[in-house]
Amino acid sequence: MWLSLNIINTMVDIKDIPAGEIAAKLTMSTAEIDGIEEMNPFLKTVISAKILKVAQHPNADKLTIVDLDTGAEKLRVVCGAPNHREGDIVPLATVGTRFTEEFTVKKTKIRGEESSGMLCSEKELGLSDDHSGIMILPSDTPLGKPLSELYPDWIDTRLEIDNKSITHRPDLWCHAGFAREIAALFERSYKSPVDTSLADGFADKETLKVVIENPDASPRYCGLCVKNIRIEESPEWLKARVTAIGMRPINNIVDITNYVMCEIGEPMHAFDRRKLNGDTISVRMARKDEKLKTLDEQEHDLLQEDIVIADQKEAIALAGVMGGGGSEIDDNTSEIVLEAANFNPVNIRKTANRFNLRTEAAIRFEKSLDPELCTSAIIRCYDLIKQLIPEAEAVTRIVDTYPVKSPSVEIRTTTDFIRKKLGYDLPDGRIQSILTSLGFLIDKRDNHLDITVPTYRATKDVSIPDDIVEEVGRIFGYDNIPETPPFVPCTPPVINTRRSFERRVKEILVRDCCSIEVSSYSFVGEDLLNSLEINEDKELRLKNPLSREQDRLRRSLLPNLLKAVEFNARFQEEFHIFELGRVYFKKERNSDELASESTRISGAFYQRDAATPLFYSSKQTVLNLLSQLEVDSFTLQPETVKLPPYAHPGRSVVLKIRGSQAGMIFEVHPRIMKKLDIKGTAAIYDMDMDVLLNADKRAKGFSELPRFPDVPFEVSVLADKQSYAGALMDIIIKTSPLVKSVEVISLYEGKPIPEDKKSVSLKIIFSSREKTLSTEEIDKLQKNVVAELSKYGFGLR
Amino acid sequence: MEEKLNQILNKAKETILDSKALEDLEEIKVRVLGRKGELTQILRGLGELSGEIRGIIGKKANEIKNEIEAAIDYKMNELQDARISQLLRDEFIDVTLNAPGTTRIPSRGRLHPISQIQYEIEDIFTSMGFVILDGPEVETDYYNFEALNIPKHHPARDMQDTFWTEDGNLLRTHTSAIQVRGMEKLSPPFRVIGPGRVFRYEATDASHENTFYQVEGMMVDRNISVSHLIFFMKSLLKEIFQREVTIRLRPGYFPFVEPGFELDIHCLICDGKGCSVCKQSGWVELLPCGLVHPNVLKYGNIDPEQWSGFAFGLGLNRLVMMRYGINDIRHFLSGDIRFLNQF
Repeated sequence: MWLSLNIINTMVDIKDIPAGEIAAKLTMSTAEIDGIEEMNPFLKTVISAKILKVAQHPNADKLTIVDLDTGAEKLRVVCGAPNHREGDIVPLATVGTRFTEEFTVKKTKIRGEESSGMLCSEKELGLSDDHSGIMILPSDTPLGKPLSELYPDWIDTRLEIDNKSITHRPDLWCHAGFAREIAALFERSYKSPVDTSLADGFADKETLKVVIENPDASPRYCGLCVKNIRIEESPEWLKARVTAIGMRPINNIVDITNYVMCEIGEPMHAFDRRKLNGDTISVRMARKDEKLKTLDEQEHDLLQEDIVIADQKEAIALAGVMGGGGSEIDDNTSEIVLEAANFNPVNIRKTANRFNLRTEAAIRFEKSLDPELCTSAIIRCYDLIKQLIPEAEAVTRIVDTYPVKSPSVEIRTTTDFIRKKLGYDLPDGRIQSILTSLGFLIDKRDNHLDITVPTYRATKDVSIPDDIVEEVGRIFGYDNIPETPPFVPCTPPVINTRRSFERRVKEILVRDCCSIEVSSYSFVGEDLLNSLEINEDKELRLKNPLSREQDRLRRSLLPNLLKAVEFNARFQEEFHIFELGRVYFKKERNSDELASESTRISGAFYQRDAATPLFYSSKQTVLNLLSQLEVDSFTLQPETVKLPPYAHPGRSVVLKIRGSQAGMIFEVHPRIMKKLDIKGTAAIYDMDMDVLLNADKRAKGFSELPRFPDVPFEVSVLADKQSYAGALMDIIIKTSPLVKSVEVISLYEGKPIPEDKKSVSLKIIFSSREKTLSTEEIDKLQKNVVAELSKYGFGLR
Repeated sequence: MEEKLNQILNKAKETILDSKALEDLEEIKVRVLGRKGELTQILRGLGELSGEIRGIIGKKANEIKNEIEAAIDYKMNELQDARISQLLRDEFIDVTLNAPGTTRIPSRGRLHPISQIQYEIEDIFTSMGFVILDGPEVETDYYNFEALNIPKHHPARDMQDTFWTEDGNLLRTHTSAIQVRGMEKLSPPFRVIGPGRVFRYEATDASHENTFYQVEGMMVDRNISVSHLIFFMKSLLKEIFQREVTIRLRPGYFPFVEPGFELDIHCLICDGKGCSVCKQSGWVELLPCGLVHPNVLKYGNIDPEQWSGFAFGLGLNRLVMMRYGINDIRHFLSGDIRFLNQF
């Protein structure tokens, strides 16, 4: 929103305060000022000049050479406009005039002819949209006068308000609101532009009736009939002000209603009275299947929650949002009905959003406007109409339908409460003077203050003592409050075990497994799921996705992780990345009836040319992690059948903790790698963090160091190629409690081993905690191992 | 006797000179000077001699002993030097190389820069007695809006464009959704922070993301004031930036706090003098904060007559971007190792 300091100055005298200072104070106490802009500063170097001679440019058909008299000197410029004649007085932008950052008038040659300035159209001067030709000034204009003096209304400074910073302040959506703030901040007096005494002269010469059907939707509606209207262009001052606040001048009546809205904050509307059917205006909810064509020529199908203004025949305006096309004022309008009303913000907001008509009126009404504004606005509007059209005449009194008057808001609080909340010892007198300067009425009783909130702050903005704290604090200046540490017991905080586990997992993966943490979107889309062959439509979908690629929530981290692999594989030969993040399950619900969420730990190894199976790197990482996390009793079971489509059937294991599935380790299926267009090998681990968190942990404890020697025993076993050494180890472990460990020391395939076999060499350690094993005992243990192995069909090599 | 001593000396010198290895010298040392060595035997036999001769022979024997020891030491140094040059010749490696096979593998992993700053902030706050809280990312309208004093059709909902899910819930638009969940779980007094991922329905560009990270903070106790809030914010920022920072509070509207503030810090680039980063203002908007609105306390079943609190929300992406001069917010979720390896 734009704030014209010319307009502000009509309500509070700020001529002596630099705009920067006003902006700084407002930013610190009221609302964020996004910028300060001088309006039409170039008018200061554009001067009036008389055309002495217009001649054809020798080298260009459409250009003329114009000789000018500025009163002080004679100049020549080249001009491309069609309308200027000898004797005209025209605006001349002198050399050095800076219109924009990029455009400064310079002395130059145009097609070989010298030009020392530029003649300007009204549009170029920012005075109107007219660009049909050079602006012709009145013939009695003195020469050499800067346009800033001839058109002083157009010299203004405006502040840009960050609208987001005033969403809670309905009173600040106009100049009066800011003028009141500035008056309080600079301790000056505020003068309202509304002269209420004007209404005394109104009389009911004609009839206008207003019926409000639903006071909830429309608490108040005021109308006034005005005759002897003449639609014409607005005077310069009004056009300049309307332009400064970011609107386009249309005609006197429209400009006045727009101006009053921006001046005191009440959106207004003017109907052409002669286009209305009957003399009763009703405010009602739209009927079923009712339609309305608004000013912008759009026809809308209304719902019963839309408020409309209607005459005796049909809807004539979408209340609080936009007027209807049928009752619009035009060049021949001579009688109008002025409307100033108050509407329920929720209805307005719904209607404006549904029709995507976020008009100036709608954005104000949805903030909860002060109903007291209605009559003021009508009076102010009439005042301006009379100034512009002296013969205009009000032929009714203000027809004011206000079935349920808003109660006044009173707040009881104490200065102690305010001091306690601010944490600063502000004297009573200062607190009261701040509140009074903002329009609050204070009744000081024994120990408390009874504060009456001014109506323009009472619609919802200020309603509780805490709101009063804010008023005092912001005007006093929060910067004046020193910091204080609170006086509280210093007990150690309770550890969030889940979050600290999460952090430990990440740190182990990063520090010990040299992995890079990535973070990817929670969203996935159909195409990616298709490439992984898991497009089963099980994801929780978004109602309003931003794109097809992000239209549902991930059930697994892997799709986006593999996308990251694909991306990074373009630049890196090999890497190890992981993500720890949430996945969302539509079917399973949590206690709040929300899709349940679980946290996954998923990582990927990638190598462009893997010399050894990358699976092992992935597995090693998981073993490392589980060991550091002290996870007890887990198993890694080979799996070839029950696998997701993206897992390599010959290179996958399932991680089980106490029998339930906790995750998987696998290489990505070559078919999927191809679909994802990744060259090379990728190995994955994918685990459920909560299962790891809740798994039994190895308790640390001391046991006596072994006192008797270990006895090693090595065997080489012939096994099927597609068999698991793990099975051999299991057999051996079970042969005796004296088997302390078994490990595979080498694998061999090739001659002289038969083609479908491999040789597995194992190292077994026997040891006892009670004694040194005797030769006989050792012999028995060894024989036992060999016998057990052969029982399962594994012969020694 | 003297002759015998000279023989020992000469023979020892000869063998020392001929020695090829340190082991040979050790052997000579034992043979001559050892407990049962040739020279030791003579010295031991001295007791049988008469006083005068004993003195002469004894002196001579000691001289010889020193001479032999010196010869051994000398030769030992010589052989050691030789052995070192031998080692250098035989076992030379190019130490400017890295271990074979590790040349391409990164020697360390990296935490995501957001995780790094998140943990820093967690550590700062836990050291000041704050508990870390958590909440769901898919949230109910109640916790994300309603209980934060943002009823349906409130204009403040426009400030946070929201992703809605097909089942009528939403993706939390701010970590403030954790506030009322926290109050339901804990009874006052308490101090909590809630870091997490948040979402906004927003087209992405260099300064806008639909997914980013925040840390919510809240303290509820008796008589919490604006002054306390300023204290915690200053402590936090001093720790994060590892220097004194100048801050200012100005009014900011957030329905769940009253009064509400925008906290600005002196631009770290120009130190408040005004530059292009702070648009010449000298200030950079950093975090919204305020005193917890009594309605929010009521939603959390806390009596606002008895208790009061402050709350703040800190955007982590922005903080990291400020710290490292990152110019595009989209890097964070790009998964690009070239980016992640820099932190």
